[in-house]
Amino acid sequence: MAFLNALTALASVLLLVQSPRASEYQVKAVFLFNFVQFVDWPRVTAADSARPLVIGILGSDPFGPFLDETVRGERLGARPIQLRRYREIAEIGECNVLFISRSENEHVPAILSVLKNRPVLTVSDGDAFTNQGGMIQFVMDKSRIRLRINLEAAQAANVTISSKLLRVAEIVRPPRR
Amino acid sequence: MSIRNWPIKRKLTAILLLISGLVLLLTSAAFVTYVVVTNRETIRIHLATRSRILAATSTAALAFANEADATEILAALQYDPHMVAGALYNQDGRVLATYPAGAGADLIPAAPQPDGYRFERGRLVGFTPVAQGGSQRLGTLYIASDTKAVADALRLSAVIALVVLAIAMLAAYALAAALQGRISEPILALAETATAASTRQDYSVRAPKFGDDELGMLTDAFNQMLGRIEEQKQELQQHALRLEQRVAERTGELEKRAAELQAANSELDAFAYSVSHDLRAPLRSIDGFSQVLLEDYATRLDDAGRDSLQRVRAASQRMATLIDDLLKLARVTRAEMRTERVDLSTMAREIVADIQRAAPERAVDFVIAPGIEAQGDARLLRVVLDNLLRNGWKYTGKQAQPRVEFTAKQENGGRVFVIKDNGAGFDMRYADKLFGVFQRLHSAAEFEGTGVGLATVRRIINRHGGRIWAESAINKGASFYFTL
Repeated sequence: MAFLNALTALASVLLLVQSPRASEYQVKAVFLFNFVQFVDWPRVTAADSARPLVIGILGSDPFGPFLDETVRGERLGARPIQLRRYREIAEIGECNVLFISRSENEHVPAILSVLKNRPVLTVSDGDAFTNQGGMIQFVMDKSRIRLRINLEAAQAANVTISSKLLRVAEIVRPPRR
Repeated sequence: MSIRNWPIKRKLTAILLLISGLVLLLTSAAFVTYVVVTNRETIRIHLATRSRILAATSTAALAFANEADATEILAALQYDPHMVAGALYNQDGRVLATYPAGAGADLIPAAPQPDGYRFERGRLVGFTPVAQGGSQRLGTLYIASDTKAVADALRLSAVIALVVLAIAMLAAYALAAALQGRISEPILALAETATAASTRQDYSVRAPKFGDDELGMLTDAFNQMLGRIEEQKQELQQHALRLEQRVAERTGELEKRAAELQAANSELDAFAYSVSHDLRAPLRSIDGFSQVLLEDYATRLDDAGRDSLQRVRAASQRMATLIDDLLKLARVTRAEMRTERVDLSTMAREIVADIQRAAPERAVDFVIAPGIEAQGDARLLRVVLDNLLRNGWKYTGKQAQPRVEFTAKQENGGRVFVIKDNGAGFDMRYADKLFGVFQRLHSAAEFEGTGVGLATVRRIINRHGGRIWAESAINKGASFYFTL
């Protein structure tokens, strides 16, 4: 019952702050957090299992407070989830999920080439992101947010995406250059 | 017929059937309950398992709000015909997808309820958390299943229970009918024997013994009892036989004795009669010649001689009276009886008149109750009344106001005649001598008499089958009672 009350309370809070954009990024924030649960990163050492799992945002943050609210206090197993915001590619250190803001649209190929072969799940809502070599792209489909996944890119970066996640996404192959 | 009066066979069978029926009923109820509970638990576990599998596969659909995928996942429920509804709720508690697709509010709760599996309104409903890898909750899976499986199991188990119950009751009845005889037969045999013994009074019958249990002991005891009764009966019969023989012997003896007595009596009577008769002739001579002497030779005798002759005459006359009385007594016993209705009051008055005529100088007050009647021989009864009234008259001779009463009263269902005087009376110590021949309680000088009268009276009363007795005290008068 307490859980139910909490849920309704949360829902009403969310409804209060709802606006078209807010709603969209609210959902995207949840999705971004949910990716963590459906993706496996290669383990380097045993110490990894206690280190924080980092979700990074490159460029201007479109989520407002939503992503902070979503991630606050969450853990994946024993690993706490941390949120980091980067202005430049060079700032990116240890990172598991990287959301590339639309503000960086022009730099996407450069960013991806920097991240090449690093086990970072790259996510963006920029058009043609997967075509450019990004891993997951948010696509708007009649007011719903759909996923588009470049599986090859993920495999190349040694990031394993759960078949469950693949099941709810559109899998694309980038054109060979 | 009330159960109390049922035959023991039926009672035993009924008890056995009742017990086995109850046991079977309880067992069947337990069986059915077990089946139903087990089935409910089974479908609950099934639903839980199914729910968890579905929840595991629907994580991504919930995580990324993919309705199409969620609907497809839920559509798998169609392969279980018992599943009636299903739904996926997202984290906010809103419905993402339903089964059947587009199901209404009647099938799908508007919001998820607490996790768990429970029976609600004839359905089994389950709310399962959906989470990926044990981390944050993504939403809730709802599945509702019908409980036809439980109903089917209930029906099947009830049918099985009924069939088993029927067969078992039949078997129990057959067994009870076959085995109740072990208990009822000895009792029935005992009852039959007891009835035979009591109705036919045949104590030689014996109850058959079936075993060495309590019933066997009862049978033994009963048979022993019968044996003892039989012995006692035989003993009693022997005693009775012996008694009869003895009575017969005694009767024979008594009859012989009575006959002897009769013979002796009649001989004695005949003897007395002939003696008395024969004595009269010489007595008459003595009296006659004494009279001749007194009349013809009076001058030649002196006074002493005349006095002696007077005495001879008086004595001989007294002896004649005595002989007359004895003859009367003998006649009383010999005379033939003629029974008729006799008016005793009139008879008594005639006698009193005679007495008063013979002795007018005495004024005795005779009181005679009227209408006293009796059945008997008039001649003999006159002798009785004459004797008793004359006695009364005689023994009141020294009273200033002599009085003699003749009455009758009802006593102990018979008529008792009473002749009562206020005369000299007698000592009750000698009452038994009163009715003997020549037995006198007063001297002849005091009151004249022969001592034969009351003996005669008793003989007459005896011949009439009656009884006579007397009550008195000295100088208090005497009462003579007799029945006829």
